[in-house]
Amino acid sequence: MSDLTQAVRSTRETAPSSCARAVRIEATNHEGSLLGKNVSLAKFSAGRQSGFAFADILFAIDLNNEIVLGDAFPDWRGNLYDIHMVPDMSTLVEWKPGLDSVIGDYWLKDGTPVPICPRNLVRKLVDRLSEVGYAATVAVEIEATLFEESIHEARARGYRDLTPLGGSTGATYHLARSKDWVDYMEAVVDRLDRVGITWEAWTDEAAPGQTELNLAPTDPLTLCDNWARTRQIMREVAFEQEHTVSFMAKPTAGFGQGAHINLSLQSDGVNQFFDEDGPSELMRRAVGGLLATMAGATSIMLPQITSYRRLVDLTGPPTTVSWGVNNKTAAVRAIVGHPKYSRLEYRLPGSDVNPYMTLAGVLAGALAGVERQIEPPQQVTDMAWCLPEDCGVPRIPNTMSKAWAALDADPLLREYLGDEFVDFWVASRRWEWMEFHTKGGDPFAELSQWESTRYFEFP
Amino acid sequence: MTGITAYRPMPARESVTLSVTTEDDAPPLVRLIGRTLRDSARAGHAHEALSQSVGTVAVRSHDTPQAATVGFDGGNIAVTSGIPVSPDATIVVDLEARFAPVGEPTGDASLAAGTVVALTPPLCHWRDAAQTFWQATRDIPGVPDVLAVVADGPGGRDEAYFGDGSGEYLMAGPAEVLTGVFSGADDFLASLAAGVHVKGTLSQMSVITRAFWKVRFDV
Repeated sequence: MSDLTQAVRSTRETAPSSCARAVRIEATNHEGSLLGKNVSLAKFSAGRQSGFAFADILFAIDLNNEIVLGDAFPDWRGNLYDIHMVPDMSTLVEWKPGLDSVIGDYWLKDGTPVPICPRNLVRKLVDRLSEVGYAATVAVEIEATLFEESIHEARARGYRDLTPLGGSTGATYHLARSKDWVDYMEAVVDRLDRVGITWEAWTDEAAPGQTELNLAPTDPLTLCDNWARTRQIMREVAFEQEHTVSFMAKPTAGFGQGAHINLSLQSDGVNQFFDEDGPSELMRRAVGGLLATMAGATSIMLPQITSYRRLVDLTGPPTTVSWGVNNKTAAVRAIVGHPKYSRLEYRLPGSDVNPYMTLAGVLAGALAGVERQIEPPQQVTDMAWCLPEDCGVPRIPNTMSKAWAALDADPLLREYLGDEFVDFWVASRRWEWMEFHTKGGDPFAELSQWESTRYFEFP
Repeated sequence: MTGITAYRPMPARESVTLSVTTEDDAPPLVRLIGRTLRDSARAGHAHEALSQSVGTVAVRSHDTPQAATVGFDGGNIAVTSGIPVSPDATIVVDLEARFAPVGEPTGDASLAAGTVVALTPPLCHWRDAAQTFWQATRDIPGVPDVLAVVADGPGGRDEAYFGDGSGEYLMAGPAEVLTGVFSGADDFLASLAAGVHVKGTLSQMSVITRAFWKVRFDV
């Protein structure tokens, strides 16, 4: 784990930079979109302690600005009551000359967290993990696809028939990407360096125009903040260079893109997943919890209609609720035998996830396994794709409706994430499913225009 | 009815035991067709078409990609998503207008005509439809204590109350439109543009939407 991220975080100023004329206060909604507003310094000074009012509409609308209906709102939502974003001053950075940026959490008037606030969910799980003596170290591999056209051109084309940036030949690790692709990535990591986000590597990925950018291991809240901001930076650089970037699970009918999470649990700075003989007992229990909750967590890890189009055997994403030591065909890969690098790679999430909800789901599963001493099923030592139905390894839910049903019925995720969040999310996915099927989505197409229009630019 | 005249409607009979199955994890159109055919069977409507037809009928939405197949096999009816390469008949319908045909059917005209009839069960009085709706949905968490309905019909204004308690949700509008939404034949949100008015909180509106989905799509 790199110490740089922690160092940058701890030395950040807690007041706007001297040249700032405005502060952008921001946080993700449930869909993973980074939402916020730019406020003057005077306004920011007045509200930084008490918070800034936001309409609950940010949790109430879908990606087409329709109000999401289908469940009984808790009392605090009322008829779209205001909620309050309180900035976390440890996240304050100079975003660009004249503009600072700070990430916040949503709170109710009584000072309690908004139960469906994604960032507060991570806080809750981190605190609960701490109560049993562990701190999580996490990292993410961000995948995205770049296109030559500007966003305006992409919109005019309905996000179809775009030209992959850097050449149309797909080849992982290929160094022959053209200069425009390299220039883009170098500009991205330059921006990351300037706002203090520690990255470890970037490379060409499997599909034409695709890249993978690895953020450095750190604590869960910082990782989520870095992840959300990295997406924003990748968009802004694309705007500046008149290209387009998409985090959609499948921006074209070809390859999909994921977001693998790497996780280890530390105690007193020592990696508790390490054991000289293989997975430690703690690692095994974390695996047990992650697999016990995987069917329900799929609804969070594969949040949109298009997310499920990735679940095809032999194409990369896991398709079975499975784990194995150094098995990249399984849903959870255990990396063992090294005091520093022993970890779990949770391979289920798509690139279109909400970072905070994803980490909350991963931490909930691992914590459930640790607290309840859940033994994992036998690891899969064969290829975990294409397994016979009767081999005892279940398939990952392959539709949005199967996944929300599994989440709705999952007592562990209900306990660790809260009934209110689960009910909210299940209702929102039911709405999404209904919108897709009844408003023009085509389940029989490889990728329908409805999906491109709805998901290409978001989250 | 456009171009579907080959089927001769039979007199309504008593309910008969027919098997209408839908695939697992079915999309809304399959659920809608399955529920509608069950309603027809329950009402003894289109008995001949439901019990004696043999063949596959593709049902396509006229304005969305939704498509399903109804397989008839002498009383055993299976509804699945998508359409086979060569269905025996194809009908294109308006899903927001109670399966009203749009254009001419193709293939077996009698089979197509029978299917259209089977997909249009008779609707009961709005009060009975509201009572059935209430019984089917009252246990959904958050459904208001009381459903108040005010219907404007040919005989003037009439009203009914279902449930007991302090939280009331009011629906008012033309009796014909209310009948459609309470029976599941019509879409609730679309009914708001067709003369139905509601009084209640946004939360109640939200959960009532779920209730109408349950009746219309069994979801």
